[in-house]
Amino acid sequence: MTLRIDITHDRQWHLPGENVSGRAVWNLDAAPEAVELRLFWHTSGKGTQDVEIVKDLRIDNPAASGERDFSFSLPLGPYSFSGSLITLAWALELVALPGGDTERVQLVVAPVPAEIRLESLGRGPAGHSIHIGPSKR
Amino acid sequence: MAHSSACRPADNPFASSRIDMLDYRFPACTIDDLVTGLSHSHHRGAIVGPHGSGKTTLLENIGARLEGEIVWIRLNAEDRTPGAKARAHLPEILERRHVVLVDGAEQFGGWAWWRFHRRIRTAGAIIITSHRSGRLPTIYECATDVGLLAELVKQLAPQMADSIDFDEVFDRHDGNIRLCFRELYDRCAGSGARGDGVP
Repeated sequence: MTLRIDITHDRQWHLPGENVSGRAVWNLDAAPEAVELRLFWHTSGKGTQDVEIVKDLRIDNPAASGERDFSFSLPLGPYSFSGSLITLAWALELVALPGGDTERVQLVVAPVPAEIRLESLGRGPAGHSIHIGPSKR
Repeated sequence: MAHSSACRPADNPFASSRIDMLDYRFPACTIDDLVTGLSHSHHRGAIVGPHGSGKTTLLENIGARLEGEIVWIRLNAEDRTPGAKARAHLPEILERRHVVLVDGAEQFGGWAWWRFHRRIRTAGAIIITSHRSGRLPTIYECATDVGLLAELVKQLAPQMADSIDFDEVFDRHDGNIRLCFRELYDRCAGSGARGDGVP
């Protein structure tokens, strides 16, 4: 059984707003009900986990083996970051349904080619918050 | 104990996602014994124990073993109207196939619990967690000890285990394993308790 996500040029880092493209490949023992490719971010760390699926591509009643090109437009935020309490990470996930076999590829979505480390940003004045993401208009 | 290098939250061995993957540890019986024993109480029962003793973990483990349509109701101290919140999770008609799992049943006042219990009595199984006994027959009392804390830490972060004074950590949090994990998370994060609002 194989599930694979090939990202164009093998690029893990993407700028906010860019396209992430590539090919989803599956080779399963039996035809699934569907395969689904999800672009999402999730948090992990000290508290409750949050997950948001931003885009998805569902292929119903596929053959046991197949492939599909994809292209998702990334939103402007949130950026990939780590603080002391949470990490926010982006990923692409290919899931065979209903069994739930999964392949996941991590992405970095940030204006610089690495996740933002909050401790490197310094601390603002007391009572001020640090906004992670594009400026709000 | 101080760690020279802080780890990312996603890599922290005490991140909630890693803790959630731990199964409940029984000192004597097994989860199969407990699930089998539920038939003696007509599939009604309460898991009782103090904060951070593994009640929710055990309820999740039991829920995964039971057949039927699971209805999860999770209550906490911030719920001002637990009865309304709980009822909102219920299907219109509860039948034998439904298994109602209530985490945090101590949030109900006496009257609210009575009303809620009447509403769910047609379900095939009702299992709750509570800090105190009396709502439903107690099927298991959760408890913690230093040995349990040490065992769990060795599973989560074997490289840290030798440098932790388990007695001290356990006593500082009155046996609340969840709070012990939070302290150890902070140690790994190299932050102590920052409390400065930086996530």
